Amino acid sequence: MMAFYFSRLMEIFPFFLKGLWMTVQIAFISLFTCTVLGFFLGIFRSGQNRFLKWFIGVYVSFVRGTPFVVQVFIIFFILPEWGIQLEAFPAALLAMAIMGSAFICEIVAGGISSIPKGQWEAAASSGLTMTQQLRLVILPQAMKVILPPLVGQYVLLIKDTSVVSVIGVMELTRVGWVTVVRIPEGLMVFSLVGILYFVISYPLILLSNYLERRMAV
Amino acid sequence: MENMIEFKNVHKWYGKLHVLNDINLEISRGEVLVICGPSGSGKSTLIRCINRLEEIQKGEIVVNNTPVHDKTVNLTRLREDIGFVFQQFHLYPHMTVLQNITLAPVNVKKMSRKKAEAIAMEKLEQVGLTDKSGAYPGQLSGGQQQRVAIARGLAMSPEIMLFDEPTSALDPEMIGEVLDVMVNLVSEGMTMCVVTHEMGFAKKVADRVVFMDEGKIVETGKPDEFFDNPKTERAESFISMILTH
Repeated sequence: MMAFYFSRLMEIFPFFLKGLWMTVQIAFISLFTCTVLGFFLGIFRSGQNRFLKWFIGVYVSFVRGTPFVVQVFIIFFILPEWGIQLEAFPAALLAMAIMGSAFICEIVAGGISSIPKGQWEAAASSGLTMTQQLRLVILPQAMKVILPPLVGQYVLLIKDTSVVSVIGVMELTRVGWVTVVRIPEGLMVFSLVGILYFVISYPLILLSNYLERRMAV
Repeated sequence: MENMIEFKNVHKWYGKLHVLNDINLEISRGEVLVICGPSGSGKSTLIRCINRLEEIQKGEIVVNNTPVHDKTVNLTRLREDIGFVFQQFHLYPHMTVLQNITLAPVNVKKMSRKKAEAIAMEKLEQVGLTDKSGAYPGQLSGGQQQRVAIARGLAMSPEIMLFDEPTSALDPEMIGEVLDVMVNLVSEGMTMCVVTHEMGFAKKVADRVVFMDEGKIVETGKPDEFFDNPKTERAESFISMILTH
């Protein structure tokens, strides 16, 4: 029976590849938007404007204090109540962007505030504008602190894409659900799902380890 | 003589602490002013107000005809003319000595890299460190780092140089090399404000010494007069303290 199910599974393997491709799309679009948004938020979170700091702080706490699956439901089910209709795919991307940017914001803000105040003062004293101080003096130093946890966060984000299966996006985990109905070998089906996730996240884990070692010296 | 820096009834508070209390001070072009006083007396705060690293709450500060207290003042323009040297050097650790010095000329003055590097080498020669242009700050001694910091300030061709306890973080054997560089600057006619307890330096090159305590200017005088014959009791006890320490 096992062998039969295995050959059935291999027959529908292209279906898994389609799911993997959807996962990769959600993951990489999200990594990009989360990084851009996260840096933007993180820079203001470590900045001078009290109101912005407070506001971003509230946003981050809210995102960190609620389960991602609940956030996905809120976006998918509550927004239509306010007349905003979103397909599952853009809703998934929006949910990922909101969640991921909050975590990356904290990493970036932490990195920036690890740079001594004197570096800002020296750069300011020489006439550099705020943006130049940040771009030329602060961020290049802060990147050493930011990069290892950032890549670690990327791995988490890739794995978190599995949550958007709950709103029907046909990504890898959803493909597993659908398959297991027809091939009732849960272990076999979800092992394959697991292996495919591992294939995309493992290179990033290696990169994270490498950066950790390199930045430590 | 023309005033380069002018404080008029300047007040500053940190919360309830009155760190600058009615400061009135005029520094003329080419003058070398030494500011001393016990820690917490407001001397560092005073010079940090000149390039507006610190904001004041009351009064006026005019630097080279620019009203520094004015909220709309162009800070970049103001700071181009003022070099600042910190107690802890604050060199950029991710850049070489040459990159440290050329950063502001290239990005603020929009100078070509080639020209900025030529000026940087000139300034490095002035502080005696041409051989270190490719080194990173972490590879230099404290004294060398502080000389690079001075070269970095000079590379913007400022009209004023401010020094905030430039030798206090240095091992004793390195203090001399930094003071020598500063003495040479004096002979070039640079306007300088130096927060320091180096009495030898003050006596040798300062035009005036300002003594501060509890946010106020308590006494002002020629260095010899001030150190040998202080008029106030507070200055006297302070001087005896730095002499015996």
